[in-house]
Amino acid sequence: MISKDELANIVGAENVSDAEAVLLKYSRDRSLVPAGSPECVVWPTGSEQVGEVLKWANAGNIPVVPVSSQEHFNGGAIPRQGGIILDLSKMNRIFEIDKDLKKARFEAGVTWGRLTAELAKKGMRTIMPLLPHADRSVLTDTLEREVPTNTVYDYGEPMMAFEVVWPTGDIFRLGSASVNGYPDSMSKGGNPSGPGIDFYRFVQGAQGTMGVVTWTNMKIMFETKKDKVFFAPVEDLAYAQEFLYRILPRRVGQEVVLLNSTDLAAILAEDMDAEFEKLRATLPPWTLILVVSGLLRRPDEKIAYEVKLLREVMKNEFREMHLSEALPGFPGLGSKMLSLLRNPWPAHLTYWKNRWQGASQSLFFIARPEMSPLYVDIVEAIAPRYGYPVADIGSYIQPIEHNRACQVEFTFFYDARDEEAKARISALYRDAAQALVGEGALFTRPYGDLAPMVYERAAGYVMALKRVKKLFDPNNIMNPGNLCF
Amino acid sequence: MPTTKFSLDPSDINNFTYDMSRCIKCKGCYWVEHTYQPGARFATRCPSNVWNDFDAYGAFGKMRIGLALAEGRLEWTPKLLEIIYADPLCGACDVGCKRNLDLEVELSLESLRVKAVKDGAGPMPVHKKIAQNIATKHNVYGAPHGNRKQWATGDLKIEEKADLLYFVGCTASYGNKEIAQSTAKILNATGTPFMLMPEEWCCGNTLQSVGMLDEARALAKRNIEMVKSTGAKRVLLSCAEGYRMWKVEYPKLLNIATADLGFEVVHLVEFADEALQKGSLRPAKPVNKRVTYHDSCSISRLADPWTPYSGERGWMGTVNPRLKRRRGTQGLYAQPRNVINAIPGIDFVEMIRTRENAFCCGAGRGTKEAFPTLASSSAKHRLEEVKEIGAEVLVSACPWCKNNFASAAAGDNVKVMDFSELILASLDA
Amino acid sequence: MAIVKEAYRALEAVVGAGYLSDDPAVCEGYRSGPGGYENGLGYERVMTRIPGAVILPRSTEEVQKIVKICLRYKVPYVPYSTGFYGPRSHPHIEGALLVDLKRLNDFEFDEKHWYANVGSGFIYAQFQEECLKRGGYGVIGGGGAQASVIANLIGDGWSPLSHRIGLPHRRILGTEMVLPDGEILRTGSLAVGDDPFWGDGIGPDLRGLLRGYTGLRGCLGIVTKMAVKVLPFQPERLEPTGISPDTALALPEKRVKWINYIMPSKETQVRAMYEIGKAEIGGAVTKVPLFWRAIAKAECKEEFWDLWLKETPETVANFHIVRVLLIGFTNEEQLEYDEKVLSDIMQELGGSPRRTKPSDESWIKNADSAGMWLMCGSYVSVDYVIETLGQATEHGQVYADLKKKYTPPLMPDHGDPGWFQSFELGYQGYSEFLIYWDQDENTDGVDHFYLETSKMNINHRFYTSLLGPHQPMYLTGPKYGPNYHEWMLKIKNEFDPMWLCHPPVPFAHDEFVRRAPWMHKLADWESPREFPYPQWLKEKMDAEAAAFHVKK
Repeated sequence: MISKDELANIVGAENVSDAEAVLLKYSRDRSLVPAGSPECVVWPTGSEQVGEVLKWANAGNIPVVPVSSQEHFNGGAIPRQGGIILDLSKMNRIFEIDKDLKKARFEAGVTWGRLTAELAKKGMRTIMPLLPHADRSVLTDTLEREVPTNTVYDYGEPMMAFEVVWPTGDIFRLGSASVNGYPDSMSKGGNPSGPGIDFYRFVQGAQGTMGVVTWTNMKIMFETKKDKVFFAPVEDLAYAQEFLYRILPRRVGQEVVLLNSTDLAAILAEDMDAEFEKLRATLPPWTLILVVSGLLRRPDEKIAYEVKLLREVMKNEFREMHLSEALPGFPGLGSKMLSLLRNPWPAHLTYWKNRWQGASQSLFFIARPEMSPLYVDIVEAIAPRYGYPVADIGSYIQPIEHNRACQVEFTFFYDARDEEAKARISALYRDAAQALVGEGALFTRPYGDLAPMVYERAAGYVMALKRVKKLFDPNNIMNPGNLCF
Repeated sequence: MPTTKFSLDPSDINNFTYDMSRCIKCKGCYWVEHTYQPGARFATRCPSNVWNDFDAYGAFGKMRIGLALAEGRLEWTPKLLEIIYADPLCGACDVGCKRNLDLEVELSLESLRVKAVKDGAGPMPVHKKIAQNIATKHNVYGAPHGNRKQWATGDLKIEEKADLLYFVGCTASYGNKEIAQSTAKILNATGTPFMLMPEEWCCGNTLQSVGMLDEARALAKRNIEMVKSTGAKRVLLSCAEGYRMWKVEYPKLLNIATADLGFEVVHLVEFADEALQKGSLRPAKPVNKRVTYHDSCSISRLADPWTPYSGERGWMGTVNPRLKRRRGTQGLYAQPRNVINAIPGIDFVEMIRTRENAFCCGAGRGTKEAFPTLASSSAKHRLEEVKEIGAEVLVSACPWCKNNFASAAAGDNVKVMDFSELILASLDA
Repeated sequence: MAIVKEAYRALEAVVGAGYLSDDPAVCEGYRSGPGGYENGLGYERVMTRIPGAVILPRSTEEVQKIVKICLRYKVPYVPYSTGFYGPRSHPHIEGALLVDLKRLNDFEFDEKHWYANVGSGFIYAQFQEECLKRGGYGVIGGGGAQASVIANLIGDGWSPLSHRIGLPHRRILGTEMVLPDGEILRTGSLAVGDDPFWGDGIGPDLRGLLRGYTGLRGCLGIVTKMAVKVLPFQPERLEPTGISPDTALALPEKRVKWINYIMPSKETQVRAMYEIGKAEIGGAVTKVPLFWRAIAKAECKEEFWDLWLKETPETVANFHIVRVLLIGFTNEEQLEYDEKVLSDIMQELGGSPRRTKPSDESWIKNADSAGMWLMCGSYVSVDYVIETLGQATEHGQVYADLKKKYTPPLMPDHGDPGWFQSFELGYQGYSEFLIYWDQDENTDGVDHFYLETSKMNINHRFYTSLLGPHQPMYLTGPKYGPNYHEWMLKIKNEFDPMWLCHPPVPFAHDEFVRRAPWMHKLADWESPREFPYPQWLKEKMDAEAAAFHVKK
């Protein structure tokens, strides 16, 4: 039995709730993961409180599910064994935005909406996944390895040094934030690695099972000075991938995304009723969107050399690829697309994936780009078995780092009020995942049903992971039942 | 800090304890020099350490072992002898190390052998047999001394006295007469009068290489005296090992400089290049083959002239007087290539590892006799490279290389030739 | 001391008699020093031993069998790729089995997906050439192209080329290792199949076990295979030229170009790095310590000193060079663009270009650290830390100030404040401080300096690379994290409860301070009387410490 009073002693009575309406909010999300209710919700306002709550939870063997966002799509924050929700949304300070060091330091409760706005005031931006929900935690999305739309940087992760509260309740700074006295130190938190062990790796992709990350340093960059948005209609996905294999290693482009007509229609339609179906019907099967940008200095010249390469490659090697600043039939799309790619999805609008039928379930994984046509074929073969029209599958391919890999995402849309549809989508999702896993699709973020499917193929990894988990969370209080724990 | 006297004399291992104690285990002695590194294959240039993977077999291992020997921390055993002697002393380690540092690796390795001999542990039994052959028959084979000049057939024009003395060497005299004959014919064809040693004895390569310095020194004195007595101004060698002996080791044994020998030492590749420039060598007949060239160690890495040195080492290891170190920069690289490329019809292709990065054939300096598998496996390894570049003919300028490659190539589609044979093939009869 | 004979026989059955030896000469060949990185110092003399036996496996499976045999017979073992990193990569205990991984030198390349899959014996020089052949490149750590790719990526190595690429260990993809308990761990995409193309996951990322900042020095298992990211380069060939020692890569000037700029002050030197990062140009950006130039010019050690002793603290303090490598990844026009932007920046800051050779002597294929030993014979870096440009540009000066107290025996360097540069397009900064001495002199001062820098970093609140096994764990542990050492020990004890994998690492530097009388006066931090070893190791370490005192 959870004692609200004990929690209130730690965080203050106003920051504890077990009201039904509140608990209901945390017991389900936009995914198909079955509901699970917490017994209590707690809003700490600082790391020390987080530590105290975790110590308390250990003493009472009470599960803790850390949450930082207001919208959840993957089911990772639904309690499976009761316990409490540790909601960090009140820990939402932006400590610093440093234009020289090109970094920001902020707490877990800072959302995409807020961070992008604050950065914009200073002429800065950050790399982002595609249309993150404005109310989602930037820290969480980055920790969970959401794939950015920007393909050009070699340096990989945007996260720098951060603070974690281990499941034992110990506050720990890792990387170069570990120096005593940080941030009042010569070290500014630019390096996530160490000390001693690469602790930061254990917390990435952990879905809250390895500790509570309270704040982080993250890379930011200057806003571009000039942009050209290019579009290419794509009929043959394999051909488009060959084109990307050719041009992306030449380091052209900032954001590069491949969206099928369903997904792109859902993104672009301003009035869903009036526009969505028409867009779906008239957009090409796939659209390649490639943003070429001029940066701080001599922006036109940067754009010029990138465009030169693109033109030469298309002329000499890819004659069927027609990148241009206008998508035929869709005037003015460029600036609209740019704004979409550089901003989160506004919180006041229904999330783009849910605008059509009210709900959606996305299946995403990492893949070798040349395999993506096969994965599309697999899903298109399976969907009809569940009465799901092929034309209704949303598909999004995100190239990664010079197209060495990509993320493939399939989205299935459904009416949340229709229990039968939900069940079918659930079954479709599982069946498709199983088939994809069998063909080399790599689910590095195994949410919900994916977890047992993936981990049963990784016995050695699971064994080692469980042993590490036990060291940090001996009582298994952190989001138990998630991943392989 | 007190200074230490030392000299570049391998007869005392203590001259090299500084060098051995400063080896940084960077394995520049083992790998092809990084700038030229060809990648996953053909990455190394140390035959000893390719033959046996334990660190002890690389120079970096031997530096540590050498120090232990100097400090009396290791006993002589057959294994230790193998470590020290299973090594063609090809100089790759010395040159590799000296790309960045000032350590005398080659001399250190030589000093280990001298110590082995002095301690009564070395050299290898077969080397003792060779020494015996040289002492009694004046050649490494123990063949009758009287047969030494049988290679000189009647069609060759040899003078009684000339400015140029052709020192043939044991191998060309007895086993590879074709090299001696080809060389003589080339000299004739260029109109260069030449003489032979009145009585040619072994150059002493094996003796010097295995650490029998006293015996080698005696031969050196004797051979130099004989040359001087002929009045010859130049000594020509067609054997790379012999070239190294005369040019580098004789002065070293006698503690004089190469420049003070009293005569010039040239290898056939140098002579041929000179003659080509002068116009007296005229390769005219086409040789329509894809040909590659192997840089024999003793005319490349090991060929820098010798200057004796003794001095003091002091603060931070600096030496006084200043010492210009031999870093293998004066190898005969351009000369053979100039000549080969002048042959009409030749399709010349470089090996993947060339010049100072060449992979030693593994035969020289007493190695083939004592460690035949090291020699054969090294040659086979080098032949892989020849096949990789698609060469039909492998040319080198040393009979040891030729014989070792030829036996390793048996059955392969690669013809092994000496430089002299290739040139001759292009001269009008 | 011999390996127990039952273990020896079992090991021999794994690799064959030709690849196992306990011969004294063979083992002597594996001695750490006295020359080399961090050799010729107290740590090396006190802590290293030659192995009791050496084994050369050929595959992960053989390595696993070896580890299991060591567990069965309680044989301490040490993984070893090249041994170049010095004493910390060599046995610290009598009778250890040195596992020489050089035969794990397989290599595969996936050109389309820009990675190479290598074994522990594969070195950077080979890797870089294979990359360059295919229009790619990697970053060769400053330690040198002779370093094992795997060992360097789990230890960390970087060069001016890190300006664009970033933290080296982010290049680690699917990896295979043998844990100290004999289990094989495969990470990234290898966890679920045979394809090593991706490094993350699955879920939490156990690449965290591979390494830390900086490096576990081989005390938490043996990595046998790793897929490594290759970065796209440009298509024209860099031709090797010259005869050793004057070798260099000739650069295709329209695609690859170094430019040296003389800056009017340190402030402008630093500002240039910030601006270059913000402009997102360049393939490499670094300052150059003045004595490296002297090393490059000198034909021998003596000539180096001729050149160096002419310098003064003033000339050193006023020497501000920014060296930039431009790479036309996209096309020639991109290099032109980068050069114009760079020129704009330099004009603003008053930097003036110097005639720069159209060649690369070192960084692209060599990363020639070997030259560091030319000057004095001994060398170690007392820090090589990635942080921000904020820390990096200030860090070296603090070392330089402390170093005065220890010069001599440290080399007279006129107060040179070390090396720093921009990393990750200015998101990070790197600083390295190198020290040199002659090991024939009394080196106690060097040992002291090394330890004092750790305290200096703690006091000034710098991040430093010398954490974990590099300095006393009980000194740095409480001050970073805090208590990172406790978590590290938990992990160590979980996977290697018998401490057979490279004992007594990570407590090796604590042991050194305990044993060496000249270090005792510096031991002013709290340290337990007994280190948390298993009993057998405790007895061994006590005996070694006692024997050391007796010897003295």
